[in-house]
Amino acid sequence: MSDKDLETNTGADAASSNKGLIRRFLDTPPDNTSKTVTVAVALCLVASMVVSAAAVSLRPIQERNSALDKQVNIVQVAGRYEPGMDVAEAFADFEPHVLELATGEFTEEFDAYEFDDRAAASDLTLSTPLEDDPASIGRQANYVTVYLLRNDDGSLDKVILPVYGYGLWSTLYGFMAIEEDGNTIYGLQFYEHAETPGLGAEVDNPRWKALWRDKKLRTEDGEGELAITVAKTPPPQGREYFVDALSGATLTSRGVDGLVRFWMSERGFEPFLERVKAGEI
Amino acid sequence: MGLRSFFDRIEPSFEKGGKYERYFPLYEMVESFLFTPKTVTTAAPHARSYIDMKRIMTYVVIATIPCILFGLYNTGLQTNLAIAEHGASGWRAAIIDGLGIGFNASNPLANMLHGLLYFLPIYIVTLVAGGFWEVLFATVRRHEVNEGFLVTSMLYTLILPASTPLWQVALGISFGVVIGKEVFGGTGKNFLNPALVGRAFLYFAYPAYMSGDTIWTPVDGFSGATALAVSASEGAAALPEYGITWMDAFVGTIQGCIGETSTIACLIGLAFLLATRIANYRMVVGCLLGMIAFSSLLNWIGSDTNPAFATPWYWHLVMGGYAFGLVFMVTEPVSGSHTNLGRYFYGALIGFMVVMIRVINPAFPEGMMLAILFGNVFAPLIDYFVVQANIRRRARRNV
Amino acid sequence: MAQTYRNMLVDPMVDNNPITLQVLGICSALAVTSSLQVAMVMAIAVTLVTAFSSMFISVIRNQIPSSIRIIVQMIIIASLVIVVDQVLKAYAYEISKTLSVFVGLIITNCIVMGRAEAFAMKNPPVASFVDGIGNGMGYGLILMLVGFIRELFGSGSIFGVTILETVNNGGWYVPNGLLLLPPSAFFVIGLLIWAFRSWKPEQVEEREYRIQTVESH
Repeated sequence: MSDKDLETNTGADAASSNKGLIRRFLDTPPDNTSKTVTVAVALCLVASMVVSAAAVSLRPIQERNSALDKQVNIVQVAGRYEPGMDVAEAFADFEPHVLELATGEFTEEFDAYEFDDRAAASDLTLSTPLEDDPASIGRQANYVTVYLLRNDDGSLDKVILPVYGYGLWSTLYGFMAIEEDGNTIYGLQFYEHAETPGLGAEVDNPRWKALWRDKKLRTEDGEGELAITVAKTPPPQGREYFVDALSGATLTSRGVDGLVRFWMSERGFEPFLERVKAGEI
Repeated sequence: MGLRSFFDRIEPSFEKGGKYERYFPLYEMVESFLFTPKTVTTAAPHARSYIDMKRIMTYVVIATIPCILFGLYNTGLQTNLAIAEHGASGWRAAIIDGLGIGFNASNPLANMLHGLLYFLPIYIVTLVAGGFWEVLFATVRRHEVNEGFLVTSMLYTLILPASTPLWQVALGISFGVVIGKEVFGGTGKNFLNPALVGRAFLYFAYPAYMSGDTIWTPVDGFSGATALAVSASEGAAALPEYGITWMDAFVGTIQGCIGETSTIACLIGLAFLLATRIANYRMVVGCLLGMIAFSSLLNWIGSDTNPAFATPWYWHLVMGGYAFGLVFMVTEPVSGSHTNLGRYFYGALIGFMVVMIRVINPAFPEGMMLAILFGNVFAPLIDYFVVQANIRRRARRNV
Repeated sequence: MAQTYRNMLVDPMVDNNPITLQVLGICSALAVTSSLQVAMVMAIAVTLVTAFSSMFISVIRNQIPSSIRIIVQMIIIASLVIVVDQVLKAYAYEISKTLSVFVGLIITNCIVMGRAEAFAMKNPPVASFVDGIGNGMGYGLILMLVGFIRELFGSGSIFGVTILETVNNGGWYVPNGLLLLPPSAFFVIGLLIWAFRSWKPEQVEEREYRIQTVESH
């Protein structure tokens, strides 16, 4: 700005000194330094107020959405979902518990309604690094939230177990529903992944998901060997332990195979499923 | 000379001002296909050579003949072997039954014929669908239909699995010709190899039909992994367990696309192309050195989790589409580098990328197609640097 | 005024389309067009942000110091984008999950900044608002066209309603997987630009150079 401009400015300021403060401010040329600062500060104040007002007022709805999203998946994997139903109400039938994986016992250390599985899985004090890592997850959570679904008479109907593991491009997060015998699969559903559309993403295809129904985790000959597998050909134990791999998605199929076998093994839910089998739950 | 005089008679109506002026390219295509072109360059720079575009293209097609023949044999062989196990069905089986030839895998002629029944439909569809776009663009844009399409269509057919549905064949070549070539102005202006563009389109559009274990031999119920798939998951050392020896892969009696399995057939083609100076040896040398250097480096580094690291260079040479790509695609003059020094770098870049994709990328066991397309994209940049370096060198000399 | 409101709305559709003529906003057009529903929500979001940011900027255009002009525009646009993002998370959760970062990236969409700088700084609020709506809709039109092609041929459906029954669900249509991958939008947008410029040859850019031709006889 040249000196001449400055002079005119001061002149204008003097002339308008009897006008209102706002009027005077608006009449100031925008390139005056103090005006620049004032405009910047005022704009930032207004903008931050708008943004925080939106964030704060909408937060409850957002949190409900996020919770609902997970609930829908749990209700779906248990086969209780119908379009248009009140998910929150259906979800009330599910009984969340925080499970200590190593023992298979429920723990009261955490509030099951508040426990954050994702945070716990990366929390160094609540998870263990894995050496042998078939699900490619790096660290395994020590505690996870499981959901129990009971019949009207209070007996166990299904347990819903969280599973996750790496596919081709992304970690797949899902739930597996197991029948009250602790060995028969009711369903497997992933609620978050970024696999190739049309190939790996076919894990969401209802036809493929239907293949899991009534498959068995372990052989029932007393050995109790973990036999369930996702592959192109059935395992020697027979077809009831076999889910056909997704065509053209070798690595996603391998990932799903790895994560299911990992989470259903001794290092995963096996101690808990033993208790389910024994009718202790 | 009856034909010649027929052409002479009808030519005026296709020339400027003639009745069918619009269809001159069509006329020109047919005429120059049958006779030596009459047109000669009259303006300044004259290059004297016995080679013209048409001869180059014809030579490339000739060079593919060993691959075609072996491809027919191998397609039939694999199919007949699979039929012995899973049974035959479909119209091809009906024809073979009708001719009384049978599905005897040890009879080379029966294999060739069976292979032909797979090769021909794909090739014909390619010619018709691709030819349609060629002629359409030639007519609208008033340029000539180029013999290059004969090469494109032949290469495209040879790098498809025998089980490819024909509508996909048509879609792929259409994409290759239109997006890979014509939108950039036609033959000579395409910076990508149109056959590979078409193949890549199919690969990404219909991956279930272009990869996996069940598609290589067109028999229901058949499943057989390619050498590449095995080496990607279990390492090349495991290949003999699957009944694949290095010699099998070198000769080409393995699973794979129609014309790409036989390394020896490709090498015969290469010898022909090098002898006739159609292919530039620099690209071939670069591509070989790049592949050998990088795969040896990976052998030396080693990996506990990825068995493909241990695949030696002589396996990379004979597996998948490496040899075919090396001979017929890397050497393609339009989409490759145009400077001699640049050609070494261009070849080496492809050789490096192919190993990189095969070994380190988990999703794509076959890397040759993508590596060549990648190299195509970088070719002008390589040329630019070579030319700049040259200019700098000369400038220094003359200060 | 040189332009009528109607022109401001209609011009950016074809004659001065931000995507096909100016080739702006391509990044988000690639990312959000694999399904029509998502493309539509994105189009609406961009239209609203462009319109309101242009309007607010126009209101204070005489008060904006030129030295911090761009920052002021950015703050207004960014605030609006955050509000849109929050609203989507609250009322269209599923779609906001699909759109993920791309709502946030509306901030960097050249169309919004472009209209703010080129139009709103020089024109009154109502005109700026209309101009923003027009450009947002021009962007949305292309987004919807691309989304239509990609969803129909990539998944066999329109707005999630199955039109072509796919093979995986027992039908006949083999979906084109390429169209589900973001790069396919490049091809579709490229073909659209080709079509637009064949229809309106005056949109063809002047060649930067000429390829020398040798006359042959």
